[in-house]
Amino acid sequence: MIELLFALSIGTLFGIGVFQLLRRDLIKAAIGFAILFSAINLFFVAVGAFEGEFAPYVSNVEAGRQTSDPLIQALILTAIVVSFGSFSLLLGFVNIISRRYDTIDSDDTNRLKH
Amino acid sequence: MELATITAVPFGLALFLASPLARNSLSKPLQTRLSSLVMTALFAWLLSAYPHLARTGAIAQSFDWMPSLGISLSFYLDGLSLLFALIITGIGALIFFYAGYYFDEADEHNRFMIWLSAFAGAMLAVVLSGNVLLMFVAWELTSVTSFALIGFKGATDAEAREGAFKALFVTGAGALALIIGLVMLSVAAGQILYPEEGIRFVADIDLILQAKSLHEHEWFVLFAILIMLGGFTKSAQFPFHFWLPGAMSAPTPASAYLHSATMVKAGIYLFARLSPVMYQNELWTSSLQTIGLVTMLVGSYFAVKQTDLKGLLAYSTVGKLGAITALIGLPDQSGLKAAFVAIIAHAFYKSALFLVAGTIDHATGTRAIEGLGGLRDKLPVMFWVTVISALSMAGLPFLLGFVAKETLLDAMLHYTAPWTQLAMLMVVLSSMFTAMAAFMLIYDVFLKPPRGRRHFHELSPWIGLGPALLALGSLSLGFLVQPLIVPLLEVATPKPFELHLFAGFNEVFLLSLAILFGGLLLFFIRKKLIQLITFPISGDAIYREFITYLEWAGTTVLHTQSGFVRYYLVIILGAVAAVLIASGTLSTLTAGQQLFPSDLSVTITDLAKIFMLFLTVAAGMLTVVVREHVKAAIAYGVIGYAIGVIFLIEHAPDVALVQLLVETMATVLIIIMLGRIRAGVRLRVINSLWTERRNYNLGFLRDLGISVLIGVAVFVFSLIALQNRPLRHSIAEWHLENAATVNTDDVVGAIVADFRGTDTLLEIGVFTTAALGLLTLLARGRQPGSSLAPLVAPVASSSEFDARVVEEIQDATSLSTPFTRSVSFVVLPIAILIGIAQVLYGGNGPGDGFTAGVTIGLAVSLWYVVLGYQEAKALLPWFRPELIIRLGLLIATVNAIFPVFVGQGFMGHIEFDQALGIYDLVGSFGLHVTSSLIFEIAIAITVMGGLGIIIEAIAYPTDRTQETIRSTDPA
Repeated sequence: MIELLFALSIGTLFGIGVFQLLRRDLIKAAIGFAILFSAINLFFVAVGAFEGEFAPYVSNVEAGRQTSDPLIQALILTAIVVSFGSFSLLLGFVNIISRRYDTIDSDDTNRLKH
Repeated sequence: MELATITAVPFGLALFLASPLARNSLSKPLQTRLSSLVMTALFAWLLSAYPHLARTGAIAQSFDWMPSLGISLSFYLDGLSLLFALIITGIGALIFFYAGYYFDEADEHNRFMIWLSAFAGAMLAVVLSGNVLLMFVAWELTSVTSFALIGFKGATDAEAREGAFKALFVTGAGALALIIGLVMLSVAAGQILYPEEGIRFVADIDLILQAKSLHEHEWFVLFAILIMLGGFTKSAQFPFHFWLPGAMSAPTPASAYLHSATMVKAGIYLFARLSPVMYQNELWTSSLQTIGLVTMLVGSYFAVKQTDLKGLLAYSTVGKLGAITALIGLPDQSGLKAAFVAIIAHAFYKSALFLVAGTIDHATGTRAIEGLGGLRDKLPVMFWVTVISALSMAGLPFLLGFVAKETLLDAMLHYTAPWTQLAMLMVVLSSMFTAMAAFMLIYDVFLKPPRGRRHFHELSPWIGLGPALLALGSLSLGFLVQPLIVPLLEVATPKPFELHLFAGFNEVFLLSLAILFGGLLLFFIRKKLIQLITFPISGDAIYREFITYLEWAGTTVLHTQSGFVRYYLVIILGAVAAVLIASGTLSTLTAGQQLFPSDLSVTITDLAKIFMLFLTVAAGMLTVVVREHVKAAIAYGVIGYAIGVIFLIEHAPDVALVQLLVETMATVLIIIMLGRIRAGVRLRVINSLWTERRNYNLGFLRDLGISVLIGVAVFVFSLIALQNRPLRHSIAEWHLENAATVNTDDVVGAIVADFRGTDTLLEIGVFTTAALGLLTLLARGRQPGSSLAPLVAPVASSSEFDARVVEEIQDATSLSTPFTRSVSFVVLPIAILIGIAQVLYGGNGPGDGFTAGVTIGLAVSLWYVVLGYQEAKALLPWFRPELIIRLGLLIATVNAIFPVFVGQGFMGHIEFDQALGIYDLVGSFGLHVTSSLIFEIAIAITVMGGLGIIIEAIAYPTDRTQETIRSTDPA
């Protein structure tokens, strides 16, 4: 049951992210990008291989307790920081665009061609 | 004798010259002498290997690289490589010295030296690598450095740019063929040497040379052609020769070194290297002969037609390269001796002539042969260098070039094929043209009466040293053939041979004399001769046609482009959705799956999760429907927090901590950035998108359709993934069992800092790169006139909107109240303490380097939010992100490399407390001083520095926000 709800939330968040990404408002688009990251992190934590009842500590393992999946957590940990780095770069782009073209409407910045 | 060290030294030199230390405090002459000295030392070092080579034949050294693929980082030195390596370092030393007096600008000189030493390293790697793949990498490096050197003046010189691109295009295309050929060759060698073992990759040169039956392999035709294409393009063989004259836009020392003495001989080196296993095949030899002979004739003829001094030398080089290629292609490897003598002789006279050309260009400002003349009195040293070198090129007895010419003629005369007569005719003709070019160099440049007076730039006398030594080589080495050249060639050629300065009055000698007189004759009728023959088609024309078509195709494609970034996304994502539907991927995935669970029961913790999931989705919807950006940012923050809580419920405390901190940081960052965008701009977009709603409905439906489709696909995909996850059977099991071995309680921390430490190392690198990218981006945008600077002058247009609305939307960052100020003052020291605690004790509880870095970064960003950029910067003088980030990366790198020296391997685990005997001491504080702890500290410092850079870059006050604040604030 909870799997279904997880999948539903991930799908919805992903859809929202894509929808936001397609907005003309660049700030909304940037937020959509960040939502995509969140959806992916949510997915990773959901597919962790262990149905753990305890945090993955050696002391818990030695006590014979069922822990959650440490590997996927380590992967998410670094992914969060890296996605933050790229998100801040994205915000920098929006900032530069707003000053160079005096707009944050992506349709007014169609100078890619020229 | 460490071959790896020899290869690495020039790269180290390049790095050293590029360091601020050398650039700022090492004077030009010192840099020159140092690099020249380094090359001389390498030359001596290589030479000292000779006795060993003479005994054993070859030195092979190898380090493991990708042992699973059978690929090693191996180096190989035999007579052939020694010959080339000596030329690279020996000629290199002279050219480095010369270059010191060629450039007037210290900056230009430094930049040139950096590239030239990098090239020298790449070239040494080509000839010293013991593995064809390593050789290929070095081969490409020579192309790249050559590109930089040809385009050295590219910033101001369109011709230099074009020449550099042309060279890279031709040699790069050839290299593509080469790598395919080399891979096939390696597989073929593996099949021959290890027939019983399926596919085995044999890339080591010493092994390939043992695969004697390679020429009978079924793939031979294919890989021989591909390898030859690589060699022909690199060594400027017809019809790919045209890039070499184009490469003459390089500064002359580079032309002398790369495009005459070394890089263009890389193809020849390749042919000679593989000759022992290839020469028994007819295709190989006849192709080398044909292409070589044609190139020889075309090159030497085009040389005399040139009006540009360097053009003449370039084409004459093309011709010589052709002759050498043809010699390597002679049956039974009978031409190898002549080829090697030609390589040595050519390196001496052609480099000298190039350096003379460079000096003349530098002194008179022109290279047009027409405009030169009468330079004999002004440049006496250069005159005599030219006389000796040009005559050596023409083959005058008893210079070094004469020995080369004699051996060439001798080899060709003993070569019997149906068309020997024709080949001989071509050789004689091209030799006559070469002699003619030599006379032109002497007479037209130095002796002919000058036309008018020209400006003459005085030069340092030291500039003559390099050319003079080279000329001395051309002059004396002929007489020193027996003691010097013969021993060198004995280790380089497969068969015994004879080599004499003067072999007697035989037919070869008579032929040599005839060629000289023929050349002299041609020289006297040169004006008429030059107009006589024109070539109907040239490789350059084909290249130009090709580029024109490429550009035409580019413009045509451009017509289909709207230029609206959003539509590209629509097309890409729409196509993804369409493919998902059309291909039936979804139905394939769902086939046989029970999508919806039969068991609908939920536990209490599930209820909490469900609530949080609901929160994420609801907040996600909110980001879509709210108009104001600040509200959308806060709604986004809610998503992040809700996910953080889910992590917590899922028993992932470390991740939850990082998630909560990072999401806070991200939300703060959005809000700071909103303050940096002019309120009018933001209001305009809100107005036009929400109030006017132009093109609203259709686009809205389209976007909705695309996102629903993708969302559904992701939903199905995650559901299937969730229901099929490999419960308890994953590599994670191993991590849980082994975490105790690295002395941490927290398994996640152990994975981040130890088991997958290299990953983490790279990841903080990525994070740093993103931060630096942001910094450069924004700094460049502030530079007036840069490609990112504002296009239109800012308009104080806020009056067009309701002032109240503007104020409301204006500045979420002006939060400077006494309360917030005192909070921020208190929070920073606490955050630093928490950070330190997290790093030190992260091994035993939640928190690690990442959280520590983000915690401190967050507290600092609070200062920037509350106090503004100026005040925060003034109050936090110790917070210098650019230094902090360097420190962090330095610690991380040293900590990663250090274990290598104590035999633990890269990123190995070291228990410093055990080693230093302070285990009990630090243990009483609950600490374990290990390499993971140091790595965690480095992560914390780097992340803190990266965040600092991001905050500073985004919070930097811009003129425009200042102006907006003024315009909305009546006071």
